[in-house]
Amino acid sequence: MGKPKRKTAGAGALAALPLYVFALVFVLGPLIYMVALSFMTRAEAWGVVPEATLKNYADIFQPVYLETFWESIKLAVVSTLLVIAIGYPFGYFMAKLTAKWKKRTMLLLMIPFWTSSLIRLYGWIIIFRAGGVFDSCLMALHITEEPLKMLYTYPAVVVGMAYALAPFMIFAVYSSAEKLDFSLVEAARDLGATPWQAFRTVSFKLTLPGLLSGVVLTFVPSMGLFFIADILGGNKVVLVGNLIQEQLMKAHNWPFAAALSVALLALTTLILFLYRKLSGASDLEGLV
Amino acid sequence: MKKRFCFLLAMILCVSLLAGCSGGAGGSGELVLYTWEGMFPQEVLDGFTEETGIAVNYANFDYDETMLAKLEAAEGGDYDLVIADDYIIETVIQQGLAQKLDTGKLENWGCVNPLYQGQFFDPGDEYTVPYGAGVQTIVYDPTAVGAGIEGYGDLWDPALAGNVGLIANYRVINGMALKVLGESYNVEDTAVIRAAGEKLLELAPNVRLIKDDNLQDDLLSGEVGAAVLYTSQATVAMAANPDLEMVFPKEGIGFGIMAQFIPQNAPNPEAAYQFMDYILRPEVSAQCYEFLGYYCTNKDAEALLPESVRPYLTLPDSFSKDDMEMIGNISAQAMEEHQKVWTEFKAACE
Repeated sequence: MGKPKRKTAGAGALAALPLYVFALVFVLGPLIYMVALSFMTRAEAWGVVPEATLKNYADIFQPVYLETFWESIKLAVVSTLLVIAIGYPFGYFMAKLTAKWKKRTMLLLMIPFWTSSLIRLYGWIIIFRAGGVFDSCLMALHITEEPLKMLYTYPAVVVGMAYALAPFMIFAVYSSAEKLDFSLVEAARDLGATPWQAFRTVSFKLTLPGLLSGVVLTFVPSMGLFFIADILGGNKVVLVGNLIQEQLMKAHNWPFAAALSVALLALTTLILFLYRKLSGASDLEGLV
Repeated sequence: MKKRFCFLLAMILCVSLLAGCSGGAGGSGELVLYTWEGMFPQEVLDGFTEETGIAVNYANFDYDETMLAKLEAAEGGDYDLVIADDYIIETVIQQGLAQKLDTGKLENWGCVNPLYQGQFFDPGDEYTVPYGAGVQTIVYDPTAVGAGIEGYGDLWDPALAGNVGLIANYRVINGMALKVLGESYNVEDTAVIRAAGEKLLELAPNVRLIKDDNLQDDLLSGEVGAAVLYTSQATVAMAANPDLEMVFPKEGIGFGIMAQFIPQNAPNPEAAYQFMDYILRPEVSAQCYEFLGYYCTNKDAEALLPESVRPYLTLPDSFSKDDMEMIGNISAQAMEEHQKVWTEFKAACE
């Protein structure tokens, strides 16, 4: 028994070699570079000079930059709540569909991904702009008299975020709900639970891991989706992602950009850690 | 059936591969032009290839900074001709990534408008040939916000609440506040930059959006009533709606110049000279500037510009070098203060 087992393990390790090389070259390497950069000093005009400093980290604690972290977390929370409201019921009921309709729904969810997310965001501009689809509908229904000027507002950014991230929540909840044995719900109902009680004590508990991994998959990326705030928010919502991009591309301050990235990474790692503590799971439900 | 389809597909792939090869090797050389997208009309590029047999390989960058990073990585090679902004060219020259020009090779060198020469980034005109210039202009819709905007200061008018659009260039926008305070764009004193930041916070309630790309669309669609625009955007806006008003701010005009340079180790500098000379020809130049929508830096081309666009693409005769202030490079410390002020300002806009 022992011998063939070891053989397979060896072959497996060999097969996984490209993965390790890939991870070393494209994940660990850049990460080390980024951390090293974050301790360097910016050059006067362009580039960096290799003088160790903690200034970049100290700069993060200036109120204006702490504010962007706080702003990012707030937006991530609001977007995630909206995504839960849309994605949880969607994923849950999708798991109850017949196999044929499951496939169709899945396809409908996938189709938008065939188009660049940037182009889809420009679609939202057409909907939200003054006299656009949204305004015309509201005015035609006599809900509002004047154009609302939804574009370049906070709600527009939240909608854009939710739109971009909802599929991740739907898939996470779906994969969890699909494994749910509905006979357990029926059993709860037979034993006298109301539909709500049955949902709360059985279905919800059993789909919680899916929901939690959906939250992670929504919350973490929403900290970095800076282009949504740019395009739909008119640059007025400054997120950490925007700040990093600006420091890198316009301010020529790469060390500060690197320090901000390390801080963002630390924050997301903390969230993943909390997720593990909370759910006791060692991976993301159904997605890893 | 399936097999035949696969065979056909393989054939198509082979043919396209061959086509790719012949495309790369054809012509009597290649010019690798590195600049933003949409800097030349296709006819001009085609005309050059037709005349010289040199194929133009047009490579794009989004930001000046991307260009410098790539040029640095290529050690001044890979590209034959680069067109970028003044301030970055100053750094390019300092880094030794540009080569000195032999202006003797440029027959049309004399066509360049001296107004745009001898500037901070290349005081001796040793490295660059200007290609277009821009100023920050306020364009507004009098039917939406009433008449009477004459300078940056007027944008602070509470009547414009939520009705102003700004380009996303922090030196330009912070500079606006500096100008209102009667300071220079290039001030180094962080206390002054901070004061400009305070002033800028008072502008926040009026700001509806800040963005670099196609800001003129938001003015044309009525999303905003007044906007601070780049010259090319102002030109497009005025062409689309002549009822708009274009204002040179009374506080002073900030200038930016785009210029061409040959990287230190350009593979084909001769092609670059030929191209520069070609686009310096007044008739070609006029075609370029009409397309580009920036100020014409070729004085012999000015007369050839169509009447309809000439007022937007040339400066009045009364204009002198003293009227313009270039936005140049400043110390790292001053830049960091600008960044702080800019981030605070953006966050304050709701």
